[in-house]
Amino acid sequence: MIDAYIGLLVLWPVAAGLACLGLRGQAARSALVLGTAAVLAAAAVGLATQAPLTASPAFLSSATALHAAKGASFLFPAYFLFVGLKEKHALVIGFALLQLGLAAFGEFGLPAPALVQTAVVCDGLSLALVLVVSLVGTLISVFALPYMRHHEEHLHLKTSRQPQFFMILLAFLGFMNGLALANDLHVFSAFYEATTLCSFLLLGHDQTAEAKKSGLRALWMNSMGGVFLHAGILLIQKQHGLADIQALVDPALWTGLSLLPIALLAVAACVKAAQLPFQAWLLGAMVAPTPVSALLHSSTMVKVGVFLCLRLAPVLEGTTTGRVLTLAGAFTFLGASALALGQSNAKKILAYSTAANLGLIIACAGIGTPVAIAAGVVLMVVHAATKGLLFLCVGDMEQAIGSRDLEDLRGMIARTPVTALAAAAGSMAMILPPLGMLAGKWATLEAASASPMSMVMMAVGSALAVVCWVRFTGTLMSGVAVAVNPAPTSSLSTGPVLTMLAGVVGLGMAAPWLNAMLLPVGQAIMLPDGWALLPPLFITAMLAWILGMKVLGRQSAAKLATPYLGGLPSAAPGSFVGALGRNWTLSEGNEYATELFGEAKLTKIAGVLASVLLLALVGGALL
Amino acid sequence: MNLNTLYLAVAGLVLAPLLGGLVAGVDRVVTAKLQSRMGPPLFQPFYDVGKLWSKVIAPASHWQGLFVRWALVASLASDVVLAAGGDVLMCFFVQAASASFVALGAFCGNSPYGKLGAQRELFQLLAYEPVFMVGILCMAKAAGGFDAFSIMAAQGQPLLFKLPLIVPGLLFAVLVKLRKSPFDIAASHHMHQEVVRGVYTDYAGRDFALLEIAHWADVTVVLWICSFLWATGPLQMLATGLVFLFAALIIDNISARLTWRTMLKTVAPLTLILATANLVWLYLE
Repeated sequence: MIDAYIGLLVLWPVAAGLACLGLRGQAARSALVLGTAAVLAAAAVGLATQAPLTASPAFLSSATALHAAKGASFLFPAYFLFVGLKEKHALVIGFALLQLGLAAFGEFGLPAPALVQTAVVCDGLSLALVLVVSLVGTLISVFALPYMRHHEEHLHLKTSRQPQFFMILLAFLGFMNGLALANDLHVFSAFYEATTLCSFLLLGHDQTAEAKKSGLRALWMNSMGGVFLHAGILLIQKQHGLADIQALVDPALWTGLSLLPIALLAVAACVKAAQLPFQAWLLGAMVAPTPVSALLHSSTMVKVGVFLCLRLAPVLEGTTTGRVLTLAGAFTFLGASALALGQSNAKKILAYSTAANLGLIIACAGIGTPVAIAAGVVLMVVHAATKGLLFLCVGDMEQAIGSRDLEDLRGMIARTPVTALAAAAGSMAMILPPLGMLAGKWATLEAASASPMSMVMMAVGSALAVVCWVRFTGTLMSGVAVAVNPAPTSSLSTGPVLTMLAGVVGLGMAAPWLNAMLLPVGQAIMLPDGWALLPPLFITAMLAWILGMKVLGRQSAAKLATPYLGGLPSAAPGSFVGALGRNWTLSEGNEYATELFGEAKLTKIAGVLASVLLLALVGGALL
Repeated sequence: MNLNTLYLAVAGLVLAPLLGGLVAGVDRVVTAKLQSRMGPPLFQPFYDVGKLWSKVIAPASHWQGLFVRWALVASLASDVVLAAGGDVLMCFFVQAASASFVALGAFCGNSPYGKLGAQRELFQLLAYEPVFMVGILCMAKAAGGFDAFSIMAAQGQPLLFKLPLIVPGLLFAVLVKLRKSPFDIAASHHMHQEVVRGVYTDYAGRDFALLEIAHWADVTVVLWICSFLWATGPLQMLATGLVFLFAALIIDNISARLTWRTMLKTVAPLTLILATANLVWLYLE
């Protein structure tokens, strides 16, 4: 039964994707996507009932499968090389050649590693990623159905490119599940490269010059990450003759040895997770259609990076490498939060905030204690749902008004009330106690007590995030002087948004219990003062909710006061008679404090500092 | 959770806002004396809230009542967490949520002054929250635990001697939370200034009365955390809180309002560096 679940999780989406390519009709595509959503959700829940578990399904453990994984380590770089040559992009060519060289060295220059014990190990961490991919990921795919139809209507394409789009989108879900479950480093890296490929193809989907450029940037950066990954894997193979991930994350294996391979894997993870100074590819990725940003670039693919770090975390506990990684993660949390604050482009705010929160999770991994790892996994799950929701909302609002600038989104609550309120709820879920994101942040802050500098950076980053999200919500909910007409919506887009919202609230409230489940038996008591404080806070929050809703019900019928403008309201809405008897028109805007948080300057400084930290990460392990 | 915790929580819920109201009264009496005026009676803030409560005024937004109540609940909850000996860091996060709700309510209104005030309120939050949080981290490190009881139980030598460099940061936070000059940037303490009443512009009547109570609860939390610096006994804590209060009142009366830029570019980094230095110093010990 377990093998069947795993088979469905990994192979079904790939098959459904191929079917999308064959059956080009809109109805068939909708049926396939909705069917995949149902199958993956059922299989993921089925797997969850059996976890923790080990298994060796044939398609991941047979000799053929391992040969396929080996072949993939040549095929993917070869394709990247082809793309690089076609586009004449030196960096893509260079990193593809390096990857090919490493693959050849691993194949012919090193003895084959020992066979893995079991091909699949599903513990709390893998299960968390599988659930994120299978529940959040499929919801985003459903949302993509109406979104892409609108999207193509705007582009006026002769032949629809949706079949290719959905093929890659669905296949990607399968690759992600494979990556989460694989216990063989080579199978893992094959899936890792497959996600890089999907990201590249989906980024270039619109075929505009900007999309192409962003796609190539994402490709070269992530193949650079691939080079680090392969180098790390080969070093491990050389030192230990191992490819078994579970065997390799045993701290006893590394006592007295250099952690260089682990540091290399961590750098690869930082690239994938768009940590400073590699955030540029994620920012560029925002040109892609919203479902791509939501699925790959916030809720799932970038999670591969933090997943890898959390996987390695037991080895990192108490080591210099771990301490430097904690600093690097905390620094990205701080730097990217500051960059988010200076942005008015809503998708860029989301992108920077994503990088920031992934930094926090990487900091958890660097700390490496069971308490910190559990906090990291909770953050990973809750962040995936919350950020997925926010992306869907921003995408929906963007389609309604044709702009993603926060200033244009002012007062959206009057135009697309459902999505605007869902976005408001999502951004509040990013920062409000006692919900999951804040609880995770709090647990991380207290778990980081061995590293004062990272605690300070987390404190500042956390304040920056609060300001960023309250302003975001406030702008969406801003009162408007002139009444506007609501925009039309589709049930296929509001459905996923509302489901996701329910998931965000549910997960946010379930965080303490998730956390307790993730901790080893007996560890739950070790929590500083305890997550026991959260349940009473939940009850308080619910009482506040009821109270607030009653008042909202009463006030929503009230006649509103005229705006206080420091002058006489004039007959025309949005203007007033002010000083000198002049008629003044009212205009509003947020203060982005770009002299402090401006992108151009801050990116440079933060990039240099983050590079120093990553160099220290590798260099420190080397010495 | 035992019965004792429950009693303490209820006491915190009832007494903390009352204490905050008294602080507001003391503030007005002392300020009047400093300015050689008669001034109002000690209980004037309570009379004011009673008067506001009796007024029914059209709201500026349908959402304001909701956010006001959420702010009130969050502020009271932060008092309760502290009174019940809960985690001080979480108490602080809950308190910050209250400030966020106040800003959100202002954003929802229709007056530009309110929205301007909301932006400034957020920049204030950005300025004092990190340094206050680092202050709490210092206290937790010095006392060996994040919960209020272990910090208050750090008998013997008061924490102040280990944490002298966090005092400027705490005082900065007190000034901001009390909405005192030079940091009454978001809600100018006196009317008829360029932002009118800033973040409070759109709040009126019963909603504003509740917001005032939430403010009292906030003030208690902040002064209470400051009083951890000399927590050798209840009287000493009260005295420490009063020292911070009087320092804030004197600074209020001798300074003019700064701009948010000065606050964010100079005061916040300076106090944060001092507090961080203290934290690092604790680790080197």
